[in-house]
Parts: sequence; C-alpha cells; structure tokens
Amino acid sequence: MLRKLIDSVGPQFEAFKSQDEGLGVTETDKNIDVSVWRGGPDGGSFQRFEVPKQDNQTILDVVAWIQQNDDPTLSYRFACRVGMCGSCAMMVNGNPRWTCRTHVNKVLKNDRLEIAPLRNLPVIKDLAADMDPFFDKWREAGGVFHPTKSRNDPVEEISPLEEERQNANAGIECINCGVCYAACDVVAGNPDYLGPAALNRAWTLLNDTRDCGSQSILAAVSRGGGCHNCHSMGNCAHLCPNELSPMTSIAGLKRVTALSFLRPGN
Amino acid sequence: MPLKADIDRHDTDILILGTGGAGLFAALHAQTSAPAGTKITIAVKGLIGKCGCTRMVQGGYNVALGPGDSVERHFMDTIVGGKWLPNQDMAWRLCEQAVIRVQELENEIGCYFDRKDDGTLDHKAFAGQTADRTVHKGDLTGIEIINRLMEQVLARPVEKLQEHRAIALIPTKDRSAVAGVLFVDMRTGQFRFVRTKTVLMATGGGPTMYKYHTPSGDKTMDGLAMALRIGLPLRDMEMVQFHPTGLLGGEGTKMTGTVLEEGLRGAGGHLLNGSEHRFMFDYDDKGERATRDVVSRGIYSEMRKNNSSPNGGVFISMSHLGVENVRQDFSGMVKRCADCGFDLAGSKVEVVPTAHYMMGGVVVDPDTRTAMEGLYVAGEDAGGAHGSNRLGGNGVANSTVYGGVAGDTMGLDVRKMTTLRDPDEEVLTAEMVRAEHPFSRPESHPQHLRTKLQDAMWNDVGIVRGETGLKKGITQIQEISDELMETGVAGDNLAFNLSWHDWLNLRSLCDISEVIAKAALARENSRGAHYREDFPDQGDLDTSYFTIVQNEGDMLNVSREPVEFSIVRPGETVLPEGEPETLVEAPSGPPGQPQEAAQ
Repeated sequence: MLRKLIDSVGPQFEAFKSQDEGLGVTETDKNIDVSVWRGGPDGGSFQRFEVPKQDNQTILDVVAWIQQNDDPTLSYRFACRVGMCGSCAMMVNGNPRWTCRTHVNKVLKNDRLEIAPLRNLPVIKDLAADMDPFFDKWREAGGVFHPTKSRNDPVEEISPLEEERQNANAGIECINCGVCYAACDVVAGNPDYLGPAALNRAWTLLNDTRDCGSQSILAAVSRGGGCHNCHSMGNCAHLCPNELSPMTSIAGLKRVTALSFLRPGN
Repeated sequence: MPLKADIDRHDTDILILGTGGAGLFAALHAQTSAPAGTKITIAVKGLIGKCGCTRMVQGGYNVALGPGDSVERHFMDTIVGGKWLPNQDMAWRLCEQAVIRVQELENEIGCYFDRKDDGTLDHKAFAGQTADRTVHKGDLTGIEIINRLMEQVLARPVEKLQEHRAIALIPTKDRSAVAGVLFVDMRTGQFRFVRTKTVLMATGGGPTMYKYHTPSGDKTMDGLAMALRIGLPLRDMEMVQFHPTGLLGGEGTKMTGTVLEEGLRGAGGHLLNGSEHRFMFDYDDKGERATRDVVSRGIYSEMRKNNSSPNGGVFISMSHLGVENVRQDFSGMVKRCADCGFDLAGSKVEVVPTAHYMMGGVVVDPDTRTAMEGLYVAGEDAGGAHGSNRLGGNGVANSTVYGGVAGDTMGLDVRKMTTLRDPDEEVLTAEMVRAEHPFSRPESHPQHLRTKLQDAMWNDVGIVRGETGLKKGITQIQEISDELMETGVAGDNLAFNLSWHDWLNLRSLCDISEVIAKAALARENSRGAHYREDFPDQGDLDTSYFTIVQNEGDMLNVSREPVEFSIVRPGETVLPEGEPETLVEAPSGPPGQPQEAAQ
C-alpha cells in the first residue's frame, strides 16, 4: 500500500478551507487518496493512504479502515458513531465535521480527502485532539445550572410557548462536539475567547427561568474573552451539524449585557 | 519484563468507573453524602460524558408522575414486562426512586423535559406499559440528561481520569475486599494503579459482540469481564435485548446497527422483505406493531429464508404516510439517514435486528453492594432490575436511580473504612502481564477475529437459539479466544495505541460471549429476550429461576436460583382493588398509538 510522507505542515491546514462540498458521485472501483495528519503536541505531518471506496462510507469508516487494514498505529477517537456524543469531530478537507455522520460522497473532491485533528485545540496524537480547553471555557462561561429548588419539590410548570423557554430550546440541543469552536476564526486569533458553544450554553441558561445564576453568567460573558469578541462571521452557525446558531445566541448575550451595563445599580 | 517500574500509583477514597447516567450521578451523590475531605475520582475510557449509552437514549425516562399513574403500576409493568424474573426489591426501588430522580434532574441538575402547552410534564405512552409514563426531551433525551449532569460534575472538585481504561479490579491478598483498580492511561500507554476505599463499577454493558449492535463503540464488556475474573456471580446473562430496526448499510460502515427509532413502526411504517412483501402479519396479527422481540424474530425468520434485502436484512418503508409528514415527524431520523446516504422519507431503507442491551449483570443488592467489600455496581453492569426484558424508558431510569443510590451508599460506607487496603501484588503483576500479552506475539490486527466472533454470536447465540447451535457457538468462541491469544500487537509505542485496545476489547468480548452462550444453554425455556426453538414455552411462572454464571478456578460454573417473589406472586397484583388494568387505550388502535421507546 502506498504510504509516503508529504510536506511537513501543522494540523491547522488551510488549503482546503474555502472549498465547497463534493459532487456526490460514487465510483466504487476507485480508491480514495487520503492525507491523514500524523503527529503529536510538538508537530507532525500529513501521510498518504489509499482507501477502497464503498457505497456507504463515512469519514470515520475511512479512518477506521486505515487503522484496521493499513497502519495499526493511527490514533483517533470516536464513541457513539451516530452523531450523539461529539467525540469524533475532525478537520475534513479544511472544515470541522462530525466524521461519523459525514458521508464520503458529501466532501470528496477529485477522489481526495484530507483529515486532520480539530483546529484550535491541542493535539494528543494524530487525529485525537485534547478537548479540555473547550470544556474549561464551557465552565468559565458559567455553564452549569444554578438551582433554587430541590428534588423534594414538584417539577415546575413552564409552558414551552413562553418566549424565554423558546430561546433556550433553540440552543439547547448542542452536543458539545467542538465543531463550532474549531470553525471560529476569533478563537483561532484569541485563545482567551470563550467561543461559540460555551456562549451558546450561557444564553440558554440566561433564558432558563429556573436558573438563579444570571448575575454571574452575565459577568462571565461580559469580561475580556466574552461575547463582545464575536465578529458575527457565522462559521459556527454555518457548520453546526445540529443546525444550531450560536451566533444568534451570542447576539442575544451582547444585547442583554449591554442593557445590564446601562441599567443603574449594575 | 520491568513491569513494576512502569506503573504509576495513585490513591483516592471513592473511585467511579464510567461517566454515563450511573457514574455521573454517583459522583454528585457521593460528594454530598461522604464526609468532608473525602477524595472522589471519576475515570472513563473516553471523554467525560461522551462515552457510554445514557447519552444515546432517544425515547425517554419512565416515571410515575403522569395522570392516574402510580409507583405500584410502574412496578407491576416492570415485573410483568420482565416475565417475573426481576429482583422485586430492585424493581420497586427503581420505580419509587425514579420519581425523586426526575425531580432532581429538573430542579437541581437543570434538565428541562418536554412540557404540554399548559406547562405540565409531557408523558409519552410506550408499549408494554399501562399508563402514559415516559418523560422525554424530544427524541434526544439522553443528550439533555448527560450534558446537564456532566456540567455539574465538571463544576465540582472531582478528580478526572479521562481516557483511562480499567483493566482489572485488584483484590486484597485475602480476597475479601477490593483494594483498587488497574488502569491503562490510554494517552500515554502507562499502567496506573489507583488504590481506593470504594469502587463503583458503572461501565455499562453493551452487547457489541453481535454482528449488528446499537451501543457506543467504546463499550466492550470490560466491566463484566473484570467482575467475572475477580469471581463475582453474574445473573441473567442470556438475556440480550434486540431492537428490531437497526440501520443496515453493509459491512464496511460503523453506521450499520445503529437504531432507527421504534416510533417509525408505531406511526405505521411497513416492513417489507426482499420481494417487497409486507411479512409481519405472517407472524403476528399486530403486524409491525407487535413487541420488539416478536418483530425481531419475524425479521430474523425472513432473513433465514433468504427473503432478504441486498445487504441481507429487510426494508422499512415510510413514504405511504406522506413524504412531507415523515420529514416533519421524524426529522432526526430522516436527517441521520440522509447523512448516511439514505432517503427514509421517500424511499425504502434497509434494516436489521440489532443487539441493544444486556439485562443481565453482576448480582447486587438494592443498595448496589456486591459480594465483595468495597465494590459496588450500578447501571447496565448490574443485573436484576429488568429480569428477562427491559421496558423502553426503564434503562435510563435504572442507571440514574442506581447511580445516585451507589453514591449515597459509598458516602456512608466510606466513613467506616479508615484506611486504604493493600492490593495483592501478585494479582496486580499478573493482570499487567495479561494486558501485555499481545506484545509477545506476531503482529496481526485482531479485527478479523472480532468479525468472526460477531458472526458466531449472531448465528448461534442470537435471536433464535437451540442446543445444537449454542454448543457450536461455545466451541467457536473458544477457538476465537485461543486464536486471539496468538494474535499480537506492536508494543513499541503504547501512546493512544488503538490496536492494543482493540485487542483488549476483544479479550473482554470473548470472555463475556462465553458467559452468554453458557447461560443460554442452561435456560431450557423461552422468556422475554431469550428464545429457544427447542424449548419454546415460557415454563412455570411459580417456579421461575434465574441463571448464575461464576468463574471458579478458571472454570465457568452455571447454576440456577429460584426467583424470590418478595413483593408479588405470579397471578397477583399490588394495584389497589378496583384499579383498571390499564389506563391507556387498547394497542390495536389507529396509527400513532402507543409504542415502545427507542432506548
């Protein structure tokens, strides 16, 4: 099997960044020419593999095929394989994607794929990124429910038609896969920026009428790395596999933090 | 081999294995029940909150909070659904505590389950249940539960060991208690022994030794294999639940086996065989709406008669319900299929029954204690609550209820344990040697053996069983197991070495596959998930027994124990006199009638 090293470049590889999606054509007798980033925290390079094409094949299947049939030393991470856990996101032809739910036909161009670890996060090895900074920011943005009631109280009656609940529901189905965080150019430029997912969670909490942590959340999202860093470029909303719009949530935070700044006593 | 030099040693007070519903709840409860200064550590094979199957729950959570419902009714449904095999004290505790746990999830953890427009909780009806009982968050209930629990755990001073694979429970020299757990730090490949006063095993079962399976890829029976090796009894291990409609995309893709939700059949979806015949009415007058086990057996029969689709399953067809309606009502499933290249709303999609859940597990008491001091088990690793069949919606209830119970219990018990116990160093060394075994054999990827095992389990220890097949299955498992021991992995770089972990995964799967097959051979009747062609009757309910498999001197001993009807006997009920048998309409109604949960 062909396996040769190509030029040494970092995982934050940009060449394919603006490339659009593939043509959706399958020719199963062909091989896919796959460049896979290999390395660790100190850098690495792309390595090429040839993988047989199949009718039903996701990017995760391609990565697993390489590890199980060609190079057993390849490292990557996955768990649920069906778009619920958010463990397997990687850069695929320059864009962050869930690999388990991305069909090869959707992204393949000229029978080529380039797969790298998620951008904006430290690499552990090969395609596995360290997601701790992502979750640290989730926490820094106040991302935890602040209760006022206990398990001995009945479940509160809250109509799903209330405006605040609708705001919360619009952003709540985030699976913390890190795709938006990797897509965000502000995160790339400012390592202190909390990022789209953490701010989206803060917005859902502010709209949860049961949560009593509003003041601390507002303080957390207003400070240096907070919501006002967002330039509304919209990569987060464009690439979110769950079709959420963190950008809209961040716009909500900007509005509310501006109001609370103007309000006397705050 | 310089083993001892390569091991890191670490101490804690309460150690939790797994970050599904059971593990995360245990961490939260232990934090409040244990005395100040108690160190709590949570370890997981992948990332916190991302591993395991609670996160994959679609359908919802059974809790007796709906109109007219009661704990007694939930309990009776659980016992009847489990075909009188459940441990009744465990089933009672499950139903009783589910009420508290859902209120805790809502009021303290921050979950928001779907409401009716008037603001009250929405309760879905699922098949096999006599009341509208299942609370949910759309069809992504597990994500809401795990995300909120994960946030609470991340916000607390709990020590986290991520990508730490537990490989052995290490006893004390006299074998009376557990001393700690041996891990591989997967990121570096280093062994780490964590000494602890108490351990909760909440790694989740997950029958991934079948050709078609639903659970998360990280689940490979490591917990039950460790429990078996340390000598703990496992019960009900023949009881493997199959979900009728797993996606079938061919052999080369991990999407094969993942669940297409039960609601598709409930809404009126058709199952068609390879010649487009709607076959389920040939097996049951409820057609596609028969229960999970019946539909799974119907599909399997068509497959055995070669009436199958191109990839060897059958088709589910929805388009007669209106393409736009299907898109709207099942948007999540339609999108999932579309991402994988299939058009669920407008075309036929291939499906196949898929192994879903282990009802069996370690024998525990209703406080999650095991026969070994210091060791607790909760969630899918524990047996007893479901008997021979788990109701949809009782899985997440079980893991969250008993995870919390385990946290409470460990927090109390740890007060009596003043010192850490020393491990049996010989066992510790032997377990490291065991894990390093593949480094001494010629290199070859074990994937082909996993495929072989999955075929053997599917064909001979699967949906329909018989003595001849089971015996053949046991022989095959033993051959694959022997071949694995001659299959090697390169040991020169152990950091994030997935091929090593593939080997270890298969080791655990072989061990537990043998247990399942031997338990299935011992049960000479057909109950719940277990169907014997040669013993198709359910047997006498009054003399119901459950199977026990235990490892003694490297031999598997299989025995039967009588079910103790501690609360209710077959033919009796705990419902008050005059209570109607069911609060839901007869299940032969029009499309949209009650269905089982997808999880």
